[in-house]
Amino acid sequence: MTVFLTGLQYLGYILIFPGFLFCFFCGLLLTGIDRKLVARMQKRVGPPLLQPFYDFFKLCGKETIVPAAASRTTFLVAPLVGFAALVVVQLFIPICGFSAFTGMADIIVILYLLLIPALAAILGASASGSPYAGVGLSREMVTVIACELPLVLVLLAVAKAVGSALGTGLCFSVSEIARYQVENGSLITRPSMIPAALAFALIIPGETGSHPFDTAEAETEICEGMHAEYSGAPLAIFKLTHAVKLLTVTSLFVALFLGGIGTGIAAVDGVIVFALCVIVTALFVSFVHAVTARLKIEQVFKYYWTVVSGLALVSLVLAWYGL
Amino acid sequence: MFKKLIEESTAKSPWLFHINSGSCNGCDIELVAVLTPRYDVERLGFKLAGSPRQADIVVVTGPVTRQSLDRVLSAISQVPEPRCIVTMGSCPQSGNVFKGSYSVCAPLSKYVHVDVDIAGCAPKPEAIIDGLVKATEILKEKRGQM
Repeated sequence: MTVFLTGLQYLGYILIFPGFLFCFFCGLLLTGIDRKLVARMQKRVGPPLLQPFYDFFKLCGKETIVPAAASRTTFLVAPLVGFAALVVVQLFIPICGFSAFTGMADIIVILYLLLIPALAAILGASASGSPYAGVGLSREMVTVIACELPLVLVLLAVAKAVGSALGTGLCFSVSEIARYQVENGSLITRPSMIPAALAFALIIPGETGSHPFDTAEAETEICEGMHAEYSGAPLAIFKLTHAVKLLTVTSLFVALFLGGIGTGIAAVDGVIVFALCVIVTALFVSFVHAVTARLKIEQVFKYYWTVVSGLALVSLVLAWYGL
Repeated sequence: MFKKLIEESTAKSPWLFHINSGSCNGCDIELVAVLTPRYDVERLGFKLAGSPRQADIVVVTGPVTRQSLDRVLSAISQVPEPRCIVTMGSCPQSGNVFKGSYSVCAPLSKYVHVDVDIAGCAPKPEAIIDGLVKATEILKEKRGQM
């Protein structure tokens, strides 16, 4: 009986909160807010707040075309794999002190799982047999590699800062980091963590493939790049993955640097966390989108491995000296 | 209920794919102008798609030159159902000043079913928006029949 109940509980985690349904609604809503904000910043009226929902349902109702040159199974399964991986990441990220799964080293799990959507997109693109997708996937690979180094450095800096405060060396548990912040205040208030937080904020548009780092999906030059051959429901899942990734990365930012802000009432804290996600999106995704143009791929790479990695490295060194 | 939801969404999220079939660039500029802050058709959910596979509405400009005819038809055939074909400007409807030329195949309606014609050389932005909104209604109808 208890096994059955635990099973039901985990099924609830995966399907409802903080799994599939939560990701679906909050992710698409966050993207809608982002599109509206960008439009307002460009002095446009902008699409309605629910536009990503309309896009998703419309794409579900379209015909799905599988190109003759494509390998059918990989082409159709790849988007599902990427989306499933993202939902799993969301289960590990603590939202107002609650995370469905906890572990000794969930930062490392998150790091690997965050790679899977990009890899799935690359896999699907290479299975589609389109030259545009080929160009797109090579660019996506470079973007992934560019973002990965600063992301690892940021996470190391956070792990070191919390670990040395707790006296355990390196702390690779996100739930542990969240608990530490509830007791000792947000990490962003510590001088050593400010460069790391800035570096992570600069990684967000790169991770989510937003302007000016959307070189892999350049719709004006390479026909949407990796998604060039996708239509109908698989494309809808790719768009959903894109939206959920925005939620995942911003809520990871909130969990790592802005934790411990709240009242102690779960429902209010949930709203506060979502509001913080919106603020992070507005500052580092929408604003950046509205004021910049697309970069070339070598510029993306150079920027991440010099400026952003440098910031993260400064933070790591400061954390090592216990600031 | 789900069917109804998809039908409503289809009318609210039409993505455009723009094909230039030898146009003088006048209509192309006007189409892009409709997306700029002054007219901003994104408020109705319109978006320019990069690939014909992701489009709902195909906007064809230009008098369909013999060179471009095969390309136009192949691009249109790649658009998934339900789809809507809109011709923009006088050229794809009649050939405009190029009518009778050996290298021009207009009207486009000889080769594919055209849903909406937006007349003008080049059409006014208001006319373009009106035509595109009519196209979304046809799109919704087509989705209902699927």
